[in-house]
Amino acid sequence: MTEKRTVLIRYDEIGLKGRNRKFFEKCLLRNIKRALSCADEIDYRSPRGRIFLDIPLSFVTECVARLKTIPGIASFSIGICMKPDFDAISTLGIQWIEPRLESRKNSLKFCVKTRRSAKSFPKTSQEVNFEVGSRIMNKLSQQGLIVNINEAEYILEIEIGNSETMVFDNREPGLRGLPVGSSGNVLCLLSGGIDSPVAAFMMACRGCRVHFVFFDNQLFLGRGGYEKVLRLAKKINRFQGRGTLFVVPFQNMQGAIRDHCNEENRVVLYRRMMYRIAGEIAGRYGFMALVTGESLGQVASQTLENLAAVSCITSLSVFQPLIGMNKESIIRRAKEIGTYEISIEPQPDCCSIFMPGNPVTRSKISVMERDEKKIPWEELRDDALAKMEIIGVDNL
Amino acid sequence: MVYLDNAATTPMDEEVIRRVHESMRDVFANSGTRYRIGLDAKRRIEQSTELIAEHLEIPSTHRILFTSGGTESNNLFVKGLCFPDKKAAFTGMEHSSITESLSFLKQFGNDPCSLLPFQKEGRLDLDSVSILKENRVKLLCLSHANNELGTVNDPLQIISALAKESPQTKLFLDGVQAIGKLKLDGSAWKSLAGYSISGHKIHGPKGIGLLIFDSRLVLNPQMHGGKQQFGVRSGTLPLPLIVGLEVAIKRAVAITEQNQKHFHGLRRRLIKGLKKIQGRFSKLKIRFNSLVDEDVTRQSPAILNFSFPPVEGEVILHHLEAKNIFVGLGSACSARLREPSKILMGIGLSEEQARCSLRISFSHNNTTDEVDQFLEVFEEAYQNLYPTFSQKVEHR
Repeated sequence: MTEKRTVLIRYDEIGLKGRNRKFFEKCLLRNIKRALSCADEIDYRSPRGRIFLDIPLSFVTECVARLKTIPGIASFSIGICMKPDFDAISTLGIQWIEPRLESRKNSLKFCVKTRRSAKSFPKTSQEVNFEVGSRIMNKLSQQGLIVNINEAEYILEIEIGNSETMVFDNREPGLRGLPVGSSGNVLCLLSGGIDSPVAAFMMACRGCRVHFVFFDNQLFLGRGGYEKVLRLAKKINRFQGRGTLFVVPFQNMQGAIRDHCNEENRVVLYRRMMYRIAGEIAGRYGFMALVTGESLGQVASQTLENLAAVSCITSLSVFQPLIGMNKESIIRRAKEIGTYEISIEPQPDCCSIFMPGNPVTRSKISVMERDEKKIPWEELRDDALAKMEIIGVDNL
Repeated sequence: MVYLDNAATTPMDEEVIRRVHESMRDVFANSGTRYRIGLDAKRRIEQSTELIAEHLEIPSTHRILFTSGGTESNNLFVKGLCFPDKKAAFTGMEHSSITESLSFLKQFGNDPCSLLPFQKEGRLDLDSVSILKENRVKLLCLSHANNELGTVNDPLQIISALAKESPQTKLFLDGVQAIGKLKLDGSAWKSLAGYSISGHKIHGPKGIGLLIFDSRLVLNPQMHGGKQQFGVRSGTLPLPLIVGLEVAIKRAVAITEQNQKHFHGLRRRLIKGLKKIQGRFSKLKIRFNSLVDEDVTRQSPAILNFSFPPVEGEVILHHLEAKNIFVGLGSACSARLREPSKILMGIGLSEEQARCSLRISFSHNNTTDEVDQFLEVFEEAYQNLYPTFSQKVEHR
């Protein structure tokens, strides 16, 4: 028989969800099953407030890596399920502790922590701690094991449930947040830069399934940006699955603005058009909000006035989860989620002829509206939407 | 597809593919082993080496070393010979694998002598050779044909100038862009300290190159290990690539004269065509950065580099790409830095002229029809883009 391990998954915010809790738990379980679908022989159980998985020992490393990409998990532990027999639990504990004692030159502070959800169990948590702890000490105190509850270097944990008891000695942090799919679908304006992938990730951690839209200009900038965005979308999609990438050819719109509108307004006008197109896509597919990677004041176009002149275009909510973050924190986040290395690859993100020398920093909505009347933007928008490429990110 | 970027790389010859494939399938043994199949592999490599020597008329005074390509050959020779304190000279127009190797030596106090003021069009001015003697230069490093311009440092002329003015200076030539386009006179070998060749620029495999060097020279190995190849370059020899390289060299050398004629025809048509476009569209002011004459001791017929400000080379490149025509940038931005390389700036172009340039490079596969297709798309793209770029200049 394959040797098994049990994974105990904890979630935090879902616990606060009152009557909706069941729905959130179902979402999380579904996401876990999808992420681990590559392995068969997994048994799932979800007693109140916890999810348990039995997995083959050979799948442990892969399983840890995958669970760390699932929003909604607060932490998880890998251990062994057994009968609540103090002798057996102590033997297992001794087996785990001995090698650590050796590697720490025979000095290790430890404690036993018990959590008892089965209140019918005849001993209290304290009593269980004592029963198991004393058995282990009997065997290992001579070798330098010391009980120290407050400064333990090694914690043996026991969870006693109604149907099973689990013993473990590790806790891996999860992404926390809410399970993807519990909050609905949103559309993120993805560029090849550092910020927008982080923004998308943060929304995924709030339970959204994030779809992506990229405004492409291959005629001027080549295919480099497109290739980069495919890779970025794939990276973020690891955290959620089932994302869609919309690639909108933007050169005609961008060219029209560049040739006919005031130079200083270009950046704001480009973005107004991007929001319009993104809004159309969101409407067609039932996405409930737009997401962008803007951070207040980071570049000239990201002033309060400019942000207002752009987001007023749409009646959808526009989320800017990075708005109050500084560049260092954004970069740190990008490194953690693995998008940074892709984002910093050189790519002409905007050809010099499209960028104004002095972009407007305090744009007025009325001025923008007047300026964009100079181009047939409805026509250009519809044309771009008609030529849009739609890519299922799971298939990349 | 019209492929006019043969100085970047070339498609593999069918015969090369067949021979590489055969060797991969049939002769897998390590040529360093003692048993029969290993000795067979060794013999195959020796045969290829002898054939290469024959094709290139390499005398027995010189060693033939297989490397991973031009970059490694240049690194191995320059660093292997000049470390720590042999003084070298260069024009600054060489491939970065030479200039960067020399600049690596700087940290050991070995400053190379720059001949930048003594070159024109990327070619060394022969009247300046006496400077080498004054500066006690032991090694002169040059491109046989410049990779961006195609301008030529003729070995025989340089050898005779060195013999007269600075006999203690040895000559190293980077021949990566020369083989198959320029004839290398067998008599040059006795005065050549080293010469490098790359497989993939002559329809051979990628990942294989040659360093041919005077066997009296002691090169410090840059790759340590099993002491293969005279102890200078360790590593198991890639037999299939070596076989492929031999076939590619044989063909390149055999058709050099035929190539020159063919390339001159294509180049003439290209130059004439560009001038005609200039006649039709007076805003176009072409500057030929390569020499337009057909003296192969001064200019490789395989390359034409030209500038056309204010339209950016990269934007034209992507417009051509959209029509399935592939050309090189006149100033290859080094892959990571987005600034014009030193070569075009080195021959006196402004940054704008350098950015607004293309490099067309031919192979025997190209036809006059393809040149015409290029000209047609170039003209259309230029006329469309000119208003935009000229407007940008005015705005500044």
